[in-house]
Amino acid sequence: MKHINRRTRTLMEDAAGYAFISPWLLGFVAFSIIPILFSLYYSFTDYDILGDPVFNGLENFRRMAGDQLFWQSLKVTFFYAFVSVPLRLIFAFFVAMLFNRGTRAIRFYQAVYYVPSLVGGSIAVAVMWRRLFMADGALNAALAKIGIISNYSWIGNPDTAIWTLIILAVWQFGSSMLIFLAGLRQIPKELYEAASIDGAGSFRKFLNITVPQITPVLFFNLVMQLINGFTVFTQAFVVSGGSGDPLNSTLVYALYLYQRAFKFYNMGYSSAMAWVLVLIIGVMTGIVFKTSSSWVFYEAKEGK
Amino acid sequence: MKRNLLIIALACMLLVPSFIFAQPAVEESTSGTMRLAWWGNPTRDERTLKATDMFMAKYPEIKIETETTGWAGYWDKMNTQAAAGSLPDLMQHDYAYMLQWVSRNQLADLTPYIQKGIIDLSKINDSFLSGGRVGGKLYGISLGTNAVCLTYDPAVLAKAGIAEPDSATWTWEDFERIALEVYRKTGVQTIPFFTTDPKVGFDNMIRQSGAATYGKTGLGFTDPAALREFYAIQLRLLDAGALIRPEVAFVTVTPEEGEFAKGRSWVEFIWSNQFVSTQAAAKRPLKLALLPNIKNAKAKGTFLKPSMFFSIPASAENPEAAAKFLNYFLNDIAVNDMLMGERGVPIPDDVRDHMSTRVDAINKQIFDYISLASKNAGPIDPPDPAGSGEFLKMVRDVTQEILYKRISLDAGVSKIMTQGNQILK
Repeated sequence: MKHINRRTRTLMEDAAGYAFISPWLLGFVAFSIIPILFSLYYSFTDYDILGDPVFNGLENFRRMAGDQLFWQSLKVTFFYAFVSVPLRLIFAFFVAMLFNRGTRAIRFYQAVYYVPSLVGGSIAVAVMWRRLFMADGALNAALAKIGIISNYSWIGNPDTAIWTLIILAVWQFGSSMLIFLAGLRQIPKELYEAASIDGAGSFRKFLNITVPQITPVLFFNLVMQLINGFTVFTQAFVVSGGSGDPLNSTLVYALYLYQRAFKFYNMGYSSAMAWVLVLIIGVMTGIVFKTSSSWVFYEAKEGK
Repeated sequence: MKRNLLIIALACMLLVPSFIFAQPAVEESTSGTMRLAWWGNPTRDERTLKATDMFMAKYPEIKIETETTGWAGYWDKMNTQAAAGSLPDLMQHDYAYMLQWVSRNQLADLTPYIQKGIIDLSKINDSFLSGGRVGGKLYGISLGTNAVCLTYDPAVLAKAGIAEPDSATWTWEDFERIALEVYRKTGVQTIPFFTTDPKVGFDNMIRQSGAATYGKTGLGFTDPAALREFYAIQLRLLDAGALIRPEVAFVTVTPEEGEFAKGRSWVEFIWSNQFVSTQAAAKRPLKLALLPNIKNAKAKGTFLKPSMFFSIPASAENPEAAAKFLNYFLNDIAVNDMLMGERGVPIPDDVRDHMSTRVDAINKQIFDYISLASKNAGPIDPPDPAGSGEFLKMVRDVTQEILYKRISLDAGVSKIMTQGNQILK
């Protein structure tokens, strides 16, 4: 009897829990699970949105292999992710280190430095970015002030255009920075004090205490930012006006996927592209997880 | 459980007959709520909303709900609604997408509403309607007439001591000579042609050669001479330093940030309904001209294009109310007085005549240009085929490759020919 009672009680508790999260659950099913399943189905069809999807097996994936723009977008995205993610993390970590020293106006600065992360995808920023990097933009004006006369269009040149997006990504370091800062505050003061007594310099302390202690946070940030990096869309979309200009040098994967779906009416093909991206991100995250045991430091392990 | 099923079954049984009886009643009525969707800009939104208010004041039995976004977001939204079967009762449509939508049975034939007298086309010349026809059926009614044009800065020409061109007869040779002379005498350059959609530019030249860009399958032309010339002129100007560098020209900008608005180009290539915003950004007097003629032109390159349509989706729930609003929007003098030809030059004769006396100087220039163009225009080509989106992307990519000098002129032209035939097959 007692046994059944316990079972019903856990059931009741479970039900109550699900009831409480049901608004989220409903949204998750309606706006995530169902669309995801549909896109899996569409990825095996020829679907132009206006008509009905027609099953065509692996045809979309076969076409992808011969699609130059697909490979171009992959190239752009890999470059973007592998350059912008480390740069952003380094920058975020650096700023977090500065803030960790505890300036008086720290809360104010934290808020200010978070702003770029909030406005990064907006049209206003796109306009500002053009003004910075166009031929008669602010960057060239600044260079002229120090004697370098340039009318180089940083944003209009295929060799440098992607760098304007990378700089935009680095500029939006806010959320990583806050997470780093929280991590830095968790490092026990005793470790530094003990090291000081042993005569360690500040660089030594940084290398042997701060860095190992922060690796779990770094690990988290790295995974999150890698996913962000591979799925970048808004910045590329607003800065290039949705085109991937110049010469497709800013045609990131998600932007090409969008063009395929809504400009070329190839919803089936773009769904297939989305699943390929899922695979790529899965593999990348998997690699990070696999290697984590050799570089992420968990205190629990030491004390077991 | 059984009880629930019973209730559902009962409910269904009750619903079915009511559905059958309700059907004819819905057909006949022009009352109730209708949804209207368009893409636009703040000016258009404001005027269109006012038009719906005026309509609802006159026909209080119909209530109009509106949806509006910018151009790009509009088609994302409409495509999604089409997939979901929830399109509005009346939607703004574009020539480029018309064929795709009709071939997927998404749009309703408007002929029944004309026969019933709900839509009155008696004041409209048939040439204005042909753009909305596919296979003998009418799927959209033009809300205004548009034509491709070239706008130039007469002050720059005057400064260089160059006579203004006679736009009906001038040739690309004249254009090139003027561009070089303007650059030599004033330093003002020429903007690359139609950077957002280069096809619009060479299409005009291909039409002049007596062919068309799109064929029934593949490209509509086999001789790439006109296409080649389109790029050759730009390359010659580029090599002479007279063309604005592609690194500058292919940066997406607002009209105000553009090289033409900043006075660094003497010319800009636009559609006539973009003239108001181009003029507002440039803040100086501008003139309109037809695109130049090619050597030995066999036909007219320019054509009158419906700037946009109103179409009734096949799935519309209240098509008669939509037709009624469409007719009002099209023919009513008072509402057009308020709309001020913002969507293009109106197509009913009486409305257009009335409007030409009412519009301001800038719009008068557009009206005059459209009447010039109508005397120098050939028939419009069929709407864009499926695959045109991919084709236009390819054309724009190759245009950049040529102007950025990543590939040679000949390689670029043959790339457009082979890839074009592949994409459009």
